Amino acid sequence: MVAMFERHRNPLLRYLLSFRIATPDAEEIVQEVFLSLFQHLRRGKSRSNLQGWLFKVAHNLALKNRMRAQRQSPAAPEAQTDSAPDPEKQMADLQRQNRLLAVVKALPELDRCCLSLRAEGLRYREIAEVLGISLGSVANSLEKSLSRLCRADECGRSHAAQ
Amino acid sequence: MLHSDHLTDRDIILLVDGELRSGARAAREHLEACWSCRSRMAEIQGAITDFARAYRESLDVQLSPAAGPRALLKAQLETDVVRNVEHEAAVQTSPWWNRLFAGQSISIAASLMVACLVVFAIFARGGGWRAGDLAIPRNSLTPGETRNVTIDDVCGATQGDTARTVPVSLRKQVFREYGINDMRPNAYEVDYLITPELGGSSSIRNLWPQPYSAVWNAHVKDELEDRLHGLVCAGQVDLATAQREISRDWIGAYKKYFHTDKPF
Repeated sequence: MVAMFERHRNPLLRYLLSFRIATPDAEEIVQEVFLSLFQHLRRGKSRSNLQGWLFKVAHNLALKNRMRAQRQSPAAPEAQTDSAPDPEKQMADLQRQNRLLAVVKALPELDRCCLSLRAEGLRYREIAEVLGISLGSVANSLEKSLSRLCRADECGRSHAAQ
Repeated sequence: MLHSDHLTDRDIILLVDGELRSGARAAREHLEACWSCRSRMAEIQGAITDFARAYRESLDVQLSPAAGPRALLKAQLETDVVRNVEHEAAVQTSPWWNRLFAGQSISIAASLMVACLVVFAIFARGGGWRAGDLAIPRNSLTPGETRNVTIDDVCGATQGDTARTVPVSLRKQVFREYGINDMRPNAYEVDYLITPELGGSSSIRNLWPQPYSAVWNAHVKDELEDRLHGLVCAGQVDLATAQREISRDWIGAYKKYFHTDKPF
């Protein structure tokens, strides 16, 4: 269990933070996810694709957390992005990163979730399972998002027109 | 698949994850021959990589060290384990009447008492079944019956794919067969002996009224069904074996697969 925690804690935390959940709340959710995993395994339930299982539980708890937070205070805090201390060399990278993140921020939530889960290394089938959508919907979502990311990053798509 | 003689972004996205079903071979051959599509694939993969990097770098700064949360989790797990051990010990050392109601809500205890009274009333009239008797179905009425399914059907099915609801008319027929016309149906789950998730059929020969009030009740059997389904899909138990074991002696199967003499 501790080995699983070591391996999946940061990916789960990142995913939860991408919902703009505050770090202490995200930590609490991760604890809840692993306690649920413990109960799940103790009851002898399926051990297949535990990574997907963890993300699915985290996703559901994140949605629940956000609904609760919205009821309590409608205004969500903006995420902070620290600027690098070495601006000369890293300025271009940082600008690019901010450009990409700005594009992602403007995406619908489902598309953001698909991208985030992909960034955490989940396969399309696993993403579909976590979000409760079809494989085709995952592909559509990624196609749309990657096209926007590519435009923001100025990578061309000239060959289809050739 | 192809658009303007090239792979579409969707094709490339699916191909990257090995999910392009129709025309995958042709797509791979095209990719080998087409510099433009290879270049596009590299761009798409690059976009994912760049996003993944930006995503991590923007969020990693908010992560706290793992040591504290790890210790907290360990402590919570230990507390949970100790609580379970203490609970089990308390149940084992307490008198039988306490054990009967240990950890149960008053409503369950009340349901048990009502069920006992109803059973008594039926036996006083000289017929019917006791709840405990029905923990295991009567073989002549419910031997268990399967559909013609493959492992792919069983493991590819989602919850929505396997209809579990038993029609009211069939439920009534099951109650009639077991001679429990006077009992309240909500004391029982008309359950599949071989669960549909393991290929059980919806025939009456695969259905019996399983009491909620018995120690080996419908909820306990549900746990076994989940367990066996997981084992079958993980390739650790043969589907036919799972079907046979659950239909011949599901309580024995529970004890075998949960390594316990009593339900959790």
